[in-house]
Amino acid sequence: MDAVEKANAARQQQWIKDRKVGEGTYAVVYQGREATTGRKVAVKKIKVGQFKDGLDMSAIREVKYLRELKHQNVIELLDVFSSKTNLNLVLEFLDSDLEVIIKDRTLVFLPADIKSWMAMTFRGLEFCHRNWILHRDLKPNNLLIASDGQLKIADFGLARDFADPGYKMTCQVITRWYRPPELLFGCRYYSTAVDIWSVGCIFAELMLRIPYLPGESDMDQLKTIFRALGTPTEDDWPGHAKLPDYVPVGQFPKPPLRDLFTAASADTLNLLSKCLVYEPRKRITAKDALSHAYFFALPYPSHPSKLPKCSTVMNKPLDEIDANVEVASDPGAKATSKSLKRKLASPTEAKARSIARRLDFSKAPPSSP
Amino acid sequence: MTSNALDSPATTDPKETEKRQPLYEASTQFRNWRFSPEGLAQIREKLNEAAVAVIRNTFEVDQPGSSANVAFLNANEEVVLVRLYVTKISQLCAMFRFPEEVEATAISYLKRFYLKNTVMDWHPKNVMLTALFLATKTTNNPISLETYTSHIPKTAPSDVLDLEFLVAQSLNFEFTIWHAHRALWGIWLDLQSLPDMTSNLEPSIYDAALNHIRASRLTDAELIYSPSQIALTAFSVAAPELASKWAQSKLTPDGTQSQLSPDTIPPVLGLIKGMVLKEGHVPDVESVREIDRRLRICKNPEKIVGSKAYLAKQAEDERKVEEKRSKKIFEMQKGQTDPFGDEIQTKNLVDYDDDDDDD
Repeated sequence: MDAVEKANAARQQQWIKDRKVGEGTYAVVYQGREATTGRKVAVKKIKVGQFKDGLDMSAIREVKYLRELKHQNVIELLDVFSSKTNLNLVLEFLDSDLEVIIKDRTLVFLPADIKSWMAMTFRGLEFCHRNWILHRDLKPNNLLIASDGQLKIADFGLARDFADPGYKMTCQVITRWYRPPELLFGCRYYSTAVDIWSVGCIFAELMLRIPYLPGESDMDQLKTIFRALGTPTEDDWPGHAKLPDYVPVGQFPKPPLRDLFTAASADTLNLLSKCLVYEPRKRITAKDALSHAYFFALPYPSHPSKLPKCSTVMNKPLDEIDANVEVASDPGAKATSKSLKRKLASPTEAKARSIARRLDFSKAPPSSP
Repeated sequence: MTSNALDSPATTDPKETEKRQPLYEASTQFRNWRFSPEGLAQIREKLNEAAVAVIRNTFEVDQPGSSANVAFLNANEEVVLVRLYVTKISQLCAMFRFPEEVEATAISYLKRFYLKNTVMDWHPKNVMLTALFLATKTTNNPISLETYTSHIPKTAPSDVLDLEFLVAQSLNFEFTIWHAHRALWGIWLDLQSLPDMTSNLEPSIYDAALNHIRASRLTDAELIYSPSQIALTAFSVAAPELASKWAQSKLTPDGTQSQLSPDTIPPVLGLIKGMVLKEGHVPDVESVREIDRRLRICKNPEKIVGSKAYLAKQAEDERKVEEKRSKKIFEMQKGQTDPFGDEIQTKNLVDYDDDDDDD
């Protein structure tokens, strides 16, 4: 055996897969642990054998960027190894995500909790942007939550680096509800501002507890945005009518944010509105957001360990794609998770599954940690 | 990515680390792919020795005494052969009109690959094709494998894909490369915004510097020096005065803040310049041909399809797989005949999900 193969085999030995927690067309996710320490991990096994062009782009992107990024608020890639025709990514184990928490009606969010999640999101994102990486798929379901409450940005399958302006990029990125208007208008030259728009939508969703701009189609998405924030004028956003896919979608007045976010403080609404500025160049940057008055005003952000947590531990797949996104450029982008959803849709189902498991005699009793 | 911090990595003062770490120093390139010239030589020597020992042994098992007259390649000859294939990558990139980033990335991959492998196991003419194909994907310039191989004579898609995992593993799955030509671009942009820029910034200066950087790709420079060091060297060869003007502009007024100082820059530039002058050219074709001729005799027989050693290794591998499979089947059947489980298992049963044989 070659030295390289031996090294790979040694790595493989280090990680033990305990149970499958999700399966999609292109990837299977296992919960597992490190052999020597027992540390919990998630192993994402990407089936490469079926791609006629070899390692697929989303796997390559994820590995490429996570190999370089080390930050408290970015998911950590612990190891990578291959097994026959599979690529295995060993990731830190995170038991929940922001979508699950938002949807859990039993939880109450204090303004300080929302501030804490926002601070962690902006910290992680500022680090990505500082490293010249656009995430391009921010949404609550890609913000994972560790057991100590730390929020981690995950799923870099659509990420890319950016450097020189004037480099053409695809506009078919970001899940629709979180996609900024410039991409919906077919803009091929864009930057960090696209991620900021998504964060703005997440910010609003944390307050509303339902998605802020849930468009039903790309066209409806624009309408939904304009209905909420007013149709942009040439003054608001110079040149937008010249973008490739520009279409007039009707004139909507601009209602005050206060009408919808009745309980929010002035600082809160100020930061939110700066994330949702139409003109991408005037949208706030992650760096500036971190020094926004919102984060320095009372109440201070909750300590991560004090944040609301889900009562039910979910069998969350790491990588789930929403039904409302079509990622045109990467057919193999993700674990398409119709099957995941069916299996793991609700906490009750997760509970039912664990009961079923208890009746399964072939399984070992839970071993002591 | 441009990196213009000319910081040499020698020591890190704890006080320094409290300051924000320069981006380049957090990269896998900085952490895992920088060597001293001596360290590099040592890695290659060891790799070469180990490979020769293994292959010699394989020869002897096949037929005792058969390795006595084989002239194995030495580490230097391996480097020369790889260098020839670096130039082939450039030729292919020109044909495909790939961006500079693809070419530079593929070249880095090829060099890194041979810090973990020997040409006697894997011939660079194959590895080069896989490294280039992988680089098109990692730099976000993908083309279909079919298009790729249809433009390369005598190459099937499987020739490229069969080595993809091996190449990716050898790179430790670290795909990001910091390139000197990006650092050069940074210097060029900086110069345009210097306040007292009076002289003309002729594009020919940039082009000349870029050519020096291209020459440096044939050397070990990128495995020893930072992209910014290589870029400044290239620029100082093309336009010495502009280069020192740029370097001056990067010095802090009191000169204490960084390790960048007028005393430390020139010696490093001299070393890189010497290296590029000495090795930054296409190796002599005749001598490479001689190396390649000997390689045909001394390459690892286990890697030659159809050879006795190859078949033996294949049979052994298959036997292992078969053993694993029958063990798994046995465990499964055991599970089935015992639906209620007489005794409580204290150990996990075999994990049925953990099948690596993909259907």
